[in-house]
Amino acid sequence: MWKVLPCGDESEMSIKIDRVKEYETILEIYEKEGLDTSLFGDRIATIIISGDRIIGLNNIPGVEIRGEEIEDGVRAYVEIADGTELHFPIHLCTGFLKNEGYQRVIFDITVGRNSKVKFTSHCIFPYAKNFTHEAIARIKVGERSSVFYEDEHIHGEGVRMVGKTEVEVGKNGRYTGKFSLTKHRARELKLEMSARLGNNAVAELVSKVKAVKDDSVEMKEAIYLEGAHSRGNLKSTVIAFDNSRVNVVNEAYGFGDYSKGHVECHEIVKGNADVQTVPLLRVKNDRAELTHEASIGRINEAQLVQLMAKGLTEDEAAEFIIKGLLRE
Amino acid sequence: MLRLRNISYSINGREIIKGINMQFRGDMIYSILGPNGAGKSTLAYVTMGVLKPTTGRILLGDRDITDFSITEKAKLGISMMWQEPARYEGITVREYLTLGGKLRTNKDELQEVLELVGLSYELYAHRFVDKSLSGGERKRIELASLLLLKPRYAILDEPDSGLDITAGRLIENVLDYFRKIRTTVILITHHEEIAAKTDFAYFVCAGKLIKKGFSREIVQYYKETCGRCFLAEMRVR
Repeated sequence: MWKVLPCGDESEMSIKIDRVKEYETILEIYEKEGLDTSLFGDRIATIIISGDRIIGLNNIPGVEIRGEEIEDGVRAYVEIADGTELHFPIHLCTGFLKNEGYQRVIFDITVGRNSKVKFTSHCIFPYAKNFTHEAIARIKVGERSSVFYEDEHIHGEGVRMVGKTEVEVGKNGRYTGKFSLTKHRARELKLEMSARLGNNAVAELVSKVKAVKDDSVEMKEAIYLEGAHSRGNLKSTVIAFDNSRVNVVNEAYGFGDYSKGHVECHEIVKGNADVQTVPLLRVKNDRAELTHEASIGRINEAQLVQLMAKGLTEDEAAEFIIKGLLRE
Repeated sequence: MLRLRNISYSINGREIIKGINMQFRGDMIYSILGPNGAGKSTLAYVTMGVLKPTTGRILLGDRDITDFSITEKAKLGISMMWQEPARYEGITVREYLTLGGKLRTNKDELQEVLELVGLSYELYAHRFVDKSLSGGERKRIELASLLLLKPRYAILDEPDSGLDITAGRLIENVLDYFRKIRTTVILITHHEEIAAKTDFAYFVCAGKLIKKGFSREIVQYYKETCGRCFLAEMRVR
């Protein structure tokens, strides 16, 4: 049984009748965290997951979301018809409102040809103390389609997250993926993102993470430039404070004729944080070109002193610089 | 008045600045003129507190500020524009100019200083102060930042380098604005035409103060002596 409920703006959302309270709690968290509540409106294609149940679902022309409840979680299929161009994002909301437990979500996303869509994914685990979230996303971007996928996380103190995203970008397609976990604790984060690119395809994977206290972060990003003239960019920014441990591996493979890839990793360290970055560039085609840049260590001295010469203390200057680096 | 008393600076046994004395009175525009490698930028870093002098004192009025930190000096009204301003990812021009909201200002004032350096508020306020800006644009934003800060003493290290042919006019406008807000400017340059726009000049070569005087005289002297490879001569001495 479904019930139509108001959301943040003028519109409405169909919610499972026995899950109304969870929906309202999620909506409250969105408001508290400054997230866009209009994403629950009826103009937006949405799936709302809470724990191992689908509590809300809304489809719009050109977008079909189907879901099934699996053991400890949900598997969802998102299909975008050819030629679909959306003015609003597709909203994937995954919540877990208990303190403890395990959740597994699998998204199979297929974007047809000549489409242009944006996904806004929010993972909401505000009360988690001992919680494991496993997320798998497989995204297929059709020929000449453009997909923007942003993933933002609201975490409590005790989240162990294991995420894996595999993207295939078809001929002349474009994919931009953004992951950020900067406002809340990472605690234990294992993230793998990879993209395989066809002819003339373009992909950019951007991730920003802040690790504090004894957080442990392991990130691996890989881009496979398989198609001719394909282009890829990997960019990770990590701020590691206190006793956190961070390991970032960025891999780029140049296989296609005239493919071009760039890997960029910047890690700022403060306190006793233990940080390492490993770039791997591999070329199997003498017409491919890969480059990388990496910086690791304390905040750039020139940036600091120039702000201090304007009256900021060293701490204020560092905070200002970090805020910019983590900007979404 | 800001005074440098017998300032020397050495690194790895090499003396970059040798016993320099200078003074900067309120409301005046000074230049420190000299060829590349003369020690001009090092002198600016020492004055700002980025480098500690090996010997000598820096006095602000009667107060010895030699060992003050960069921030402490900035809070006393000494600020500096670097020859190569740093870039900041994710920080907009507006945020940069207002130091993330710490500097109380308004849109009209931001618009005024940006226009004065040849940039439009509408086009630049929301751009990032990162690699997307050209060297010239970044320099103009840095000048705007100092104008907005209204320090008592503004050290400008080669403000014209990397700018296009309008640089001369731009520097004139900036100096006029500093005159209006009664900021003492210490302009570091190796271009005599830029030094000629100031009131008083110090000619520095091979880490030594060679001559001081009204800018017109010093510029003339600089043209004559530097043309004869003065730097090489000084190094031999």
